[in-house]
Amino acid sequence: MFHQFSATAESLSKASSLVLRIGTDAHLYDDPDDVSIGPLLESRFDSEKVDALKRLLALLAQGSDVSQFFPQVVKNVASQSLELKKLVYLYLLHYAEKRQNEALLSINCFQKDLSDTNPLVRAWALRTMAGIRLHAVAPLVLRAITKCARDPSAYVRKCAAYALPKLYDLHHDEDNSSFEELVDILLNDHSPGVVGAAAAAFKSVCPSSLFLIAKSFRRLCEILPDVEEWGQIVLIEILLRYIIARHGIVKESIMFSLSTMSTTPVADGFPTFSGTSGSCQTLVGTTCDVNMITLMCKSYIDGQIECFAQTGCSNSSDDKLDLSLTSSTNDDVVMLLRCTSPLLWSHNSAVVLAAAGVHWIMAPRENIERIIKPLLFILRSCQASKYVILCNLLVFAKAVPPFFSQYYEDFFVCSYDTYQIRALKLEILSIIATESSIPIILQEFQDYVKDPDRRFVADTVAAIGLCAQRLPMVASACLEGLLAITFYESSLSSSSQIDGEAGVLVQAIMSIKAIIKQNPDSYDRVIVQLACNLDRIKIPAARALVIWIIGEYSVIGQIIPKVVPSILNYLAWSFTSEEPDTKLQILNTAAKVLLCAQGADSLAFRKILSYFIELAKYDINYDVRDRAHFIFKFMPHSLMTSSEKDNNSDISQNGRMHHEPGGKILNGKMHSSISSTKSSRIYLPGSLSQIVLHAASGYEPLPKPCSLLNTDLTAGVVNETNDSDISSGSSIEESGSVYDSDHSSISSDDGNESSWLDEEPGVSSIQTSQQASSGRISINNLNLLVEIFFENCSSEPIKNIALKDGESSSSVESSDQVLGESESLLRTANVPPVLSTEEIASLDPGQRVKKLIEIRFPHHLLPLKLVVTCNGKKFSTKLWPDIGYFLKPLSMNTSAFIDHERQLPGMFEYSKRCTFKDHIEKIAPVKDDSSIHSDKIILLSQILTSKVLSNCNVSLVCADIPVSFNIDDASGLCLRFSGELLSNSKPCLISILVEGKFSEPFVLTVKINCEETVFGLNLLNRVAAFLQ
Amino acid sequence: MLQCIFFLSDAGEVMLEKQMTGHHVDRSICSWFWDYVLSQGGDPSMFLCRVADVLTDYLGGLNEDVIKDNFVIVYELLDEMMDNGVPLTTEPNILREMLAPPNIVSKMLSVVTGKNSNVSTKLPDATASSIPWRKINTKHSSNEVYVNLVEEMDAIFNRDGILVKCEIYGEVQVNSHLPGLPDLTLSFSNPSILNDVRFHPCVRFRPWEADQILSFVPPDGEFRLMSYRVKKLKSTPIYVKPHLTSNAGHSRISVLVGIHNDPGKTIDSITVQFQLPLCVSSANFTPNHGTVNILADKTCCWSIGQVPKGKSPSLSGNLVLEADLEKLHVFPVFRVGFRIMGVASSGLQIHRLDVKNTPSEPYKGFRALTRSGEYEVRS
Repeated sequence: MFHQFSATAESLSKASSLVLRIGTDAHLYDDPDDVSIGPLLESRFDSEKVDALKRLLALLAQGSDVSQFFPQVVKNVASQSLELKKLVYLYLLHYAEKRQNEALLSINCFQKDLSDTNPLVRAWALRTMAGIRLHAVAPLVLRAITKCARDPSAYVRKCAAYALPKLYDLHHDEDNSSFEELVDILLNDHSPGVVGAAAAAFKSVCPSSLFLIAKSFRRLCEILPDVEEWGQIVLIEILLRYIIARHGIVKESIMFSLSTMSTTPVADGFPTFSGTSGSCQTLVGTTCDVNMITLMCKSYIDGQIECFAQTGCSNSSDDKLDLSLTSSTNDDVVMLLRCTSPLLWSHNSAVVLAAAGVHWIMAPRENIERIIKPLLFILRSCQASKYVILCNLLVFAKAVPPFFSQYYEDFFVCSYDTYQIRALKLEILSIIATESSIPIILQEFQDYVKDPDRRFVADTVAAIGLCAQRLPMVASACLEGLLAITFYESSLSSSSQIDGEAGVLVQAIMSIKAIIKQNPDSYDRVIVQLACNLDRIKIPAARALVIWIIGEYSVIGQIIPKVVPSILNYLAWSFTSEEPDTKLQILNTAAKVLLCAQGADSLAFRKILSYFIELAKYDINYDVRDRAHFIFKFMPHSLMTSSEKDNNSDISQNGRMHHEPGGKILNGKMHSSISSTKSSRIYLPGSLSQIVLHAASGYEPLPKPCSLLNTDLTAGVVNETNDSDISSGSSIEESGSVYDSDHSSISSDDGNESSWLDEEPGVSSIQTSQQASSGRISINNLNLLVEIFFENCSSEPIKNIALKDGESSSSVESSDQVLGESESLLRTANVPPVLSTEEIASLDPGQRVKKLIEIRFPHHLLPLKLVVTCNGKKFSTKLWPDIGYFLKPLSMNTSAFIDHERQLPGMFEYSKRCTFKDHIEKIAPVKDDSSIHSDKIILLSQILTSKVLSNCNVSLVCADIPVSFNIDDASGLCLRFSGELLSNSKPCLISILVEGKFSEPFVLTVKINCEETVFGLNLLNRVAAFLQ
Repeated sequence: MLQCIFFLSDAGEVMLEKQMTGHHVDRSICSWFWDYVLSQGGDPSMFLCRVADVLTDYLGGLNEDVIKDNFVIVYELLDEMMDNGVPLTTEPNILREMLAPPNIVSKMLSVVTGKNSNVSTKLPDATASSIPWRKINTKHSSNEVYVNLVEEMDAIFNRDGILVKCEIYGEVQVNSHLPGLPDLTLSFSNPSILNDVRFHPCVRFRPWEADQILSFVPPDGEFRLMSYRVKKLKSTPIYVKPHLTSNAGHSRISVLVGIHNDPGKTIDSITVQFQLPLCVSSANFTPNHGTVNILADKTCCWSIGQVPKGKSPSLSGNLVLEADLEKLHVFPVFRVGFRIMGVASSGLQIHRLDVKNTPSEPYKGFRALTRSGEYEVRS
């Protein structure tokens, strides 16, 4: 009874909570698998299928692997319900790469959908097709994109543009011409939305093909305001790169002002704030930091690595920059600036930042100020973007502080700011402070000092120090404030140890130290004040700092020399209770004081120092003991009493010699060039790299000024097809190493081929031989040009010789139906495997004809079937691919190799042993010769390497040569090769380990690490075979 | 380019993942993110802000339950908004047409019929037009447009009680329900006071550059036409005077609130919020008006509401410091909240709004509101 009641109560409360969530998909998320999903997917009703897919999505969202439903889900691609389609696509995109074979089943439906009347269906089909990342369908996707790029619906064209990077990602090595062509079509679209998407495609597909921009530059500028906001960001960047590459840097811009400045001797290395006549005067009479801007300019153009190498030798790069100037009246520059300036009003902060970046780099100096206010305004827009904007503003402010000086109020810290934002604001404030604004800023800083966040307070104290260094007029005021903080803090920290208080105190004394350093003579009272309060300062690091200050300035002014003895006495009393840091500093200070001391004092100081050294020699801390010995050894002269001196006058001579180094070490002024590396890292404004302060992946500095030559332009503009030819030509050259004509690269194929031809009865008259001269490689499928020689060896003429694709006539023999389907798809929809065959009308006896055919291997294992017809008869034949050429060289160093090797353990690593005899005949004669003493191991490595390289398209990483006493023993020799798979760019590592002696056959262990297990095992067999 | 998006719940568990590119990102990265990145605070992606905005707009809030309840819509939205990690469609009007936001009717319908499809069967026309923010053939029974000035006041009073900085961050929000393709022109009487401006993409730049007139074809529904900033204001409507004294381990706090320059309308929803320093071990407060709540992280909220007639609200209290502290050395910052209906504190005035290209003269409405933004008083 009770039980029943409680049950109803429970269900009631459940029901009431459900009321709010009724009609949503909540129950699906909470219990996705409360019914079995499989039958639902097979249901006749779309609504049930939708339900099942929602459950799958819920499981997917929760992180479970539901790929086992893939085959059932794929079947639903053909559904007419758009909602179902959408859900299927979502699921498909998540798992397609995992279940490649099943995913192929969906391709037919996509093909069909691509010609649907509903543009939404076409767009979805294209997006999904490009997104499933199947190498086998890459050519299909390319065709689909080409078709969709001319679709009547702008949305579909936009999706076509977005599909390009996906395909490119899949298809790295394809020569770029087809991509460039498509990007070009899309960039010239009349719909702004498509142009924006095309810009994104341009950036990821062919960012350096700036000649594409040339002909439509003006139109792109004009369309810019109408492009979608996210597209604007990319398009702005591309246009900027184009201008730099085409016209170079604007003469009147900030970027250039600096490079000229740095050549003038006055400004050289001069940290300008004083505005001397020779330093860089901008048109408004403001000054800017030359070094900073030079650095900035170089980092923008050269990128970070080169930039570090070049700092210091500015002259050479200046010459280079001089060559590439344009004026701000250049039409293109004016156009770009005019079209980007309204974007400074965009409601998207990222667009504002991008537009500001263009003006920063290109605009004449006097016009740059217009970007400042919009940038400051976007600071208020969204808490999350504040940090990004401040990071960029910091660089601008460092380069040209005067632009920001009147807007100091915008950088006042408020309680809503996070610590990182506060730190950035403080840094900017201390950079932009001027003599007129510093009183208000200091007032503000005084408020910050009472903030509960002590880390922030420590930063504030540091900022006060910076301001005082930059503006000498407020130095004494700052110093007073800092002293007050110091005494206040030291009184506090005596009563309790609160987190962060120590940091504030140490930072305060550091700031004081920095201010004193600028003009020690006028601050002797401050030093005395600090010294007198030494007993109140308890924190070891702070004490050490104060003691250092005393030692450094012990002879300055009138008062300090008078108080130094008593301070040393005090320290002598407290020495044993000090921390090691402080002890070290006390020793240094005592030694320094002694070195500077004159007359009567020196005796007392000597005594104190000896006392310190005596104490320190038996200290518990070895650093302190070391320091004591160090000082004692270096200053024997100073430490000797006068009576001893008289006794050993010759030693005192030596002692004087020692005196010098001691003084040098302790009194020498260290010119610390601590410019934090962090601040010297500059990246393009608005880039991710500027936020994380390292070059993020995909970051590109600006192109070299004027690197885009006019010839490039004409080639690009005048004749596009011509251009695409050129680029494809270059790609052949690049892959030329793949099929070096010297290598008998396809000769293994050759061997196979001639053998089958010979075996054919009645065709003995035909002899084919081939030499590969060049190859064209597409990922996954290998396209190569094969030269085939037909020679009639018989006595009768042979007529109508033709070479055809064997599979079109013969039935597809394929056990795997899915694969078969995909292949037949390939046949029907795409280029046939044999691309060009021309019939030979007749071949006379003894005549030899050369034919070029372009072939394409579907798979690295499957042979290409060919049919030779002559005199009306058919002879079927096969052309075997060579697995070694499904790789391309991947250069890496040894450590990278070992890293990769470590990442591919277990099932990705396989090895095989084989014997190797070739060396016996090759090395033996050299041995007999013996006139030249040649290293047999090197010879062996050469033989092995050339064997591998001539059979596999890989690169040699390293050869580990063993060190052994036995000259005849080669055990331990290890050769490493690396390559990457053409199909998916995954690395493939080959290592060959040699064991045995030169006199006998070696035992080689070939090991391959590769993620593609099937490919790797086949390659292993191949390598072992050609080595044997 | 985004590789993937993870939605984490308040507890750091992954609620949803959406992989954008072929290179899958393992969800184990989230735990790292949770530990390190969130503790540092800050999210640098402006695009993610937009995603969050749209989701909030769709789901009427953004929290764990809402996302779980509507995970399918979240998935579909993400898929429409991004393609391969690049923004695809972010214009809310188009998204709304592609995917119907959940509403009570569709929920009921789904309960009754068991069917619910929020996926549109056809592509919104706007995707093809040059004004993607507007549907081509909008039909409305109503014919009205509302212009709303919403201003936020940012102010900083320093520890001496002096106004350091006071500025207005304002937005012109428009709610338009106009048929056809209307063309609107909005002008201000005193545009010169505007320090900075930003516009919705629908605003034409030329008229603004020339005459400071806003000329635009509005999207349908509610949108932010323009944001602006007016700097260097001299006065604030209310004052808050905190006073802290401390000696010998005991501290007293007193806060006075009052109206400074009467804006002519009632000021309501007044709150004062501050965080007690860590070194305060306990505190008690007695307000003479309103209520005080002390939260677990030592945040005190004093809700006042309206200032009563003839009495100025005050709060007094004792703070007990930790044992070894003699006096307070850090002082809290008081954040003030308030709202004034019907007043635009910046003084910005709308001159006129002209609507062209509509069949009949629409109803036009204007409103204003000032509320506190980053308004703080240091003590």
